[in-house]
Amino acid sequence: MFLARIDGTMTSTVKHETLDGACLLVGQRLDANRQPTGEPIVMVDQLGATRGSVVLVSTDGDIQRKLRGNNCPARFTVVGLVDFVAGVAV
Amino acid sequence: MLSSALEELRGIRLLIVEPVSAENLARNDGTGGGKALIVADHLGPGLGQMIAFTEGSEASNPYWPKQVPVDAYCALIVNTLDYRPPPVAKGNS
Repeated sequence: MFLARIDGTMTSTVKHETLDGACLLVGQRLDANRQPTGEPIVMVDQLGATRGSVVLVSTDGDIQRKLRGNNCPARFTVVGLVDFVAGVAV
Repeated sequence: MLSSALEELRGIRLLIVEPVSAENLARNDGTGGGKALIVADHLGPGLGQMIAFTEGSEASNPYWPKQVPVDAYCALIVNTLDYRPPPVAKGNS
């Protein structure tokens, strides 16, 4: 799991059928100093994260497989909305 | 196109895609900037269209219960993208 910052939202009509109804967010992974690192990633969210949110992201696709079926290709899932990191509000 | 390939890969379209870096995505000028890779595809995006792909073991989930050796899979074609990262603070690299 890792922390990510939400930078945007995405819509898609033509997509894998198991992703119907999924809320898709675009964000960037944060490093130990909470600076964005790497390329932007798309994640599936069901917790209601918004732009600017810092979230906990799991890379375990089995979460989405359980929810959306065994052939779901989704990888990144928002599993938590972060309030504090090491006592500091984010 | 592959004239000779593993049986499992027959009939699967392969795309060459380039990941989009955060800077290029914010500029939204159609440039990629990442390291190009090959993704399996069943959706048929056009040249230059933005897609989202999956890497890792999840890339072969769509073929379940068949086991197909694909590393990356085109999961969706992007319709709209609202990407507005906060401005980079001065002095940070």
